Amino acid sequence: MLPNRFAGLSWRRCTLAAAAALALAGPVRADEAPREIRALHYGDTLFHFFQDHYFTALASLMVAQHFDRVAPHADEAEVLRGGLLLSYGLQREAGAIFAKLIEQGAAATVRDRAWYYLAKIAYQRGYLEQAQQALGRIQSPLPPALQDDRVLLQANVLMARSDYSAAATLLEGVDEKAAGARFARFNLGVALIKAGDAAGGTAVLNALGQQGAQDEEMRSLRDRANVALGFAALNDKQPLAARAFLQRVRLQGQQANKALLGLGWSSAALKEPRQALVPWSELAQRSSSDAAALEAQIALPYAWAELGAYGQALERYQGALSSFERERLALDESISAIRSGSLVDSLIERNPGDEMGWFWSVRALPAVPHPEHLLQVLAQNEFQEALKNYRDLRFLARHLDAWREKLSVFGDMLATRRKAFAQRLAQLQAEVQQGKMAGLRSRRDSVAAELARGIDASDPTAFADARQLDLLQRVASASATVAGPDPELQAYRERVRLAAGALTWQLAQDRPQRIWDATRELQAVDAQLREASQRDAALAQAQRDEPVRFDAFEQRIAALDPLLQSLGTQVAALAKEQQSAVQDLAVASLLLQQQRLQAYSAQARFAVAQLYDRASAQPEAPHAAKP
Amino acid sequence: MMYRYRNWLAGLCLGLSLCAAWGAETSSASAPPAPASSLASAALDARIQDIKSEVIGLNRDLLVLEEELLFPANTQVAVFVSMDVGKMFELDSVQLKLDDKLVASYLYTALEVQALHRGGVQRLYLGNLRTGAHELVAFFTGKGPHERDYKRGTTLRFDKETQARFIELRIRDSSAKLQPEFDVKLWQ
Repeated sequence: MLPNRFAGLSWRRCTLAAAAALALAGPVRADEAPREIRALHYGDTLFHFFQDHYFTALASLMVAQHFDRVAPHADEAEVLRGGLLLSYGLQREAGAIFAKLIEQGAAATVRDRAWYYLAKIAYQRGYLEQAQQALGRIQSPLPPALQDDRVLLQANVLMARSDYSAAATLLEGVDEKAAGARFARFNLGVALIKAGDAAGGTAVLNALGQQGAQDEEMRSLRDRANVALGFAALNDKQPLAARAFLQRVRLQGQQANKALLGLGWSSAALKEPRQALVPWSELAQRSSSDAAALEAQIALPYAWAELGAYGQALERYQGALSSFERERLALDESISAIRSGSLVDSLIERNPGDEMGWFWSVRALPAVPHPEHLLQVLAQNEFQEALKNYRDLRFLARHLDAWREKLSVFGDMLATRRKAFAQRLAQLQAEVQQGKMAGLRSRRDSVAAELARGIDASDPTAFADARQLDLLQRVASASATVAGPDPELQAYRERVRLAAGALTWQLAQDRPQRIWDATRELQAVDAQLREASQRDAALAQAQRDEPVRFDAFEQRIAALDPLLQSLGTQVAALAKEQQSAVQDLAVASLLLQQQRLQAYSAQARFAVAQLYDRASAQPEAPHAAKP
Repeated sequence: MMYRYRNWLAGLCLGLSLCAAWGAETSSASAPPAPASSLASAALDARIQDIKSEVIGLNRDLLVLEEELLFPANTQVAVFVSMDVGKMFELDSVQLKLDDKLVASYLYTALEVQALHRGGVQRLYLGNLRTGAHELVAFFTGKGPHERDYKRGTTLRFDKETQARFIELRIRDSSAKLQPEFDVKLWQ
């Protein structure tokens, strides 16, 4: 893991990202009530957003907007999209979204947030006048989380325009309980000093430098205030005050080396070189990749020389020269490793993350010969931004690769569907050609005509069921059998007549119900036939539409595929360029370290020569060798 | 000699540290206006931003194509999970059955549960259904009041027509019953 001093710096970058994106949907706190969601897909976007899956959130939001599924949250969704794009560094697109929201007369709260983001974009791009104007257009207080940022942004704009008095006035009004209150106090101290009120600024920083701190960020800020005060006092030739300020700085913090160096200088300025030996000895043992530690290696023999211990001084100078040489060789190795490309790949591999985005930060050092050389490089904002861009490009390249595979599957799927559709269509067409529907319609018409005839003819037997028809037949047969004048058959004839009468009565009784039932059944058949006709029409429509739909999909796939290929190639080329740029930044920083080493070496050699001159002119007193 | 050396060191010391000492802290407001170190790097940065923008746009188009191809509106059904307050229920997992067939089973992380608490809505399932009557059954498991294991189910019968159907599974707190409630809302 990285030491604290680096973690502190990376936090700063994360916070910037948080300011850019987290406040989009308003302040988000653990104890707050959930938002009212009036569009499920907007809630889906927030679900990803709240997990810091910004790429997925943005994609989900853009798709939902395409299908017009977030209408109840239209303005909020646009603010969110603008903020997400801004978090990816897409200032132009984000700016256009916010400007459009304002133009369209969005609600006042949305408009104010849009102005805030426009101000932020303008400030980041260095358009201070525009930033100032945009901030001036905010009419009412923003949500609390954004309001603090707004004040700090406004103060930064004013300071960037060298209007330190106005910045100080603004920062003096920041509530002490606000989230960024201590940063505001720090900036207030700086603004006051730059505005000419050195006493006031020093008092503010002094108070900050003595406050209790709950976390690493605050402790780091406190150290920074004390280091700033200490070096300012040194500059003003107040070494005693400088020592008091610098002694407050933690020994292991981000500012520790600077403080140790300054502490030594305050003692030296007080003509107490023996006191200076303590911090400088500690510092000289620390990693020589740090500029202050390097400086301590020649400051230490200087203190020995001040004490008159020229032998010790000479020994230390020579030790420093050896150390500088070792460091120079080590830097050469690091530079070679960086140029071979292993630095960037190792950094990305050792610091994985889900998605591209601003929240990613380097926590583990790369596997290179002298990773400590990179501490300063990695702490540079420019390097981190460049590395983040490189990582984003790698993410996008992987994403595009995945889409290429998917798109190829879509193509196959479409071909299969087209084939299956053609096969089923052929079957259906065969059935249609066999005239199934026409036959059914003809049968229906015949039944309807029969029904009409039955109704019109008042034929009691027209609606007889099978049993009744059988009975009618049997009655007719019996009637024929017993017909004739034979008196012996009179009784049978009478029974047959009664049976026929009973049957006729029953048929007459059943007739209305039968007519009703038959009519209903015919209606049901009509309904089914209508449905079948509709299906037939739908099928005919599908025969026309589906091929068109398939064609449209095919055209879309055909259009997207080359775009995907082209963007993939461009992303790969840019990733390569960016990797070189990242490496160049790292190498430039290491070359600077080498130059510094050369300067220190030259000075050490010069001091050694002077010591030899002195020794030849005046032998060293034995008692002064050991202080 | 030493005077000269001291002056040089003092100059170096100030050069190292003081120049940075009075830099304003820009922690939470925004990044300072940082001019690009060179025109070349600024141009490269601009090209990277352009390509990011293009890829984000293309990603949207591809997702739209995917949805229209795989989940056309006339058969599409999407099931979402939301949580209103949710103090009486600590969600662990959800199982979803459609027409007696298990279509989704999801185990939640703490971060996901937190996202639901904050108003996020999870799309649990996206699929296709024929028009007609269907039955949805969802089972929620987790910890109920007094840290007791809790498993509840909810059922919905619904008609799928020719438009996309969106269904929300809601977890709510019933202050009257001091129990969590699970219900289903059909969105039009």
